[in-house]
Amino acid sequence: MRRYGIIVLVLGVCLAVAGILSLSWGQMKIPFLHVVAGLAQGMELPFLTQVPVPADEMAVIWHIRLPRTIVGLLTGAGLGISGAVLQGIFANQLADPGIIGVSSGASVGAVLAIATGAAGVTMFALPVGALVGALAAVGLTVAMAWRHGRIPVMTLLLSGVVVGMFLAAFSAAVLTLLDVNKLQEYLFWTIGGLDYRRWEHVLLGIGPILGSAVVMLLLARQLNVLVLGDNEARAVGMAVKRYRLLLLVLASLATAASVCISGNIGFVGLVVPHMMRLIIGPDHRRLLPASLLAGAAFLVLCDAIGRVIVPGCEIRVGIMTAFVGTPYFLYLLRRYQRSLD
Amino acid sequence: MVLSIRDLQAGYSGKTILQQVSFSVERGELVSLVGPNGAGKSTLLKTIRGLLPALQGKIFLQGKDITKLSEREFARRAGYLQQQMQVPFAYTVRQIVQTGRYPYLHWWQQAGKQDEEIVRACLSYTGALDFLDCPVQELSGGQQQRVYLAKILAQQTPILLLDEPATGLDLIYQEEIFRFCRELCAAGRTIVMVVHELSLAARFSSRLLLLSQGKVLADGKPEQVLTPELLTKAYGAPIAVKENPLTGHMDIYTTGSRRQDERQARLLQAVLGREVTE
Repeated sequence: MRRYGIIVLVLGVCLAVAGILSLSWGQMKIPFLHVVAGLAQGMELPFLTQVPVPADEMAVIWHIRLPRTIVGLLTGAGLGISGAVLQGIFANQLADPGIIGVSSGASVGAVLAIATGAAGVTMFALPVGALVGALAAVGLTVAMAWRHGRIPVMTLLLSGVVVGMFLAAFSAAVLTLLDVNKLQEYLFWTIGGLDYRRWEHVLLGIGPILGSAVVMLLLARQLNVLVLGDNEARAVGMAVKRYRLLLLVLASLATAASVCISGNIGFVGLVVPHMMRLIIGPDHRRLLPASLLAGAAFLVLCDAIGRVIVPGCEIRVGIMTAFVGTPYFLYLLRRYQRSLD
Repeated sequence: MVLSIRDLQAGYSGKTILQQVSFSVERGELVSLVGPNGAGKSTLLKTIRGLLPALQGKIFLQGKDITKLSEREFARRAGYLQQQMQVPFAYTVRQIVQTGRYPYLHWWQQAGKQDEEIVRACLSYTGALDFLDCPVQELSGGQQQRVYLAKILAQQTPILLLDEPATGLDLIYQEEIFRFCRELCAAGRTIVMVVHELSLAARFSSRLLLLSQGKVLADGKPEQVLTPELLTKAYGAPIAVKENPLTGHMDIYTTGSRRQDERQARLLQAVLGREVTE
């Protein structure tokens, strides 16, 4: 218990550090003191009022970097916790939010928004298209797996794969019809990024992500029982179908909202819960809060590093998470193979 | 009457496994379901627990039709230990036994102090308290079974349904499980379990139910059920039963025919790659 408290504290500190770095780093470098003072003054908090923060720094913090950072925090938290929930539902540590068709559904929504030209008319067309596509794909996956009032995990997994492949083919088919400009727009969307995120994006994502995260946290004890399988969960009196469906919908909603405000960002939903499980064990009452915090910190840190690692050039966060995530994943794979020897 | 089954027909959709099964169990009985593989023992247990729907007939738990019980109510009346439980991830013993408290908590509640005390009491009863914070995966088969038994004891149900709780364990653990069961029944719990080892079932059960090809072939005290005639009929092979004069337990063994022995000997030669002589 005390160890868990320390871990949460460390994650909290990481989160704060990542947030401050993200507000400070970029084309215009803002000193840490100015970041903290700028935040306090903007919210009219009664401290650091004497520190002078230049107006241009104030504008960068409040209009560019703060919405960007908050979108990053929301996305990371949403992907982290829903990855943990999905790995629990499938009792499989290789499951990630892509497994039930969310990402490919979002891509179809996005590509349609671009192809129809709607994305050029309003900035909301793309995220809303992605959200609708993602939820529709999950609905299709679940409907295909539904048999005799039950949702068997194995069937769900397979139908997720099938739906994902079909939708990927569909996106590709639409892409072949697009002109170069629209192709580029889509390409940028597929590599998730946090650049040009505005307060509107925060508003779009904050409700579904925080709302579903809170309910998932409340259902952590139920998830612990669900992980043990259908018979075991029913033997202790759980309404298995209801909870499996509910958790699936919540995880999909959080993922879809994350994809909708920042594009497809891989590895966070896979690696972060996995890492947390190694550190604090599989009890979801602890794993879910830790995955949420770690996901948020990891994503924002990756984004901040991506802004400064190559001078004069910004590397999108979707690329950064893959660069950091892949070696770690390979390491896990090697370790797993060694444990089999 | 704690459990009553009337003219039950059960199985999977399109495949009936059990037919015309009727029996009742009184409080404190230790009933073992015995019979050859595929006789329908596990199917019967799953149907009693409501994990498989009955195709026909009725099952009553403490006088109540099981189809009218909510999931929670059901889990407060009957505990179910499944065959070869698999725990994914490195869940600790405490976390697994805590799931036994599930039917007593509302969805917004967390396990409290009282639940923790029950978890500890059940684990110390089955002798597994030392493993409280160990991952279940790392324990031996016998130790795991103690943990799973503690889990369904934490569920505090009057009826326990156990599917082969002792199969695959060392002799000492096997007898230990049976002793726990006898003690629990003496204290007023009712146990229905699937057992493979006939002589162990005979020693510890108050009653045996011999199943064969989906039907109850015999129902009664161990010495009434474990007769050469009934066993031969159930298992489809000649079986002898002798009381061991030293232990007073029953020795049960097959008596193969001579012709079959000769045929086996020839086949063995073929398996070993030697020339088969007629």
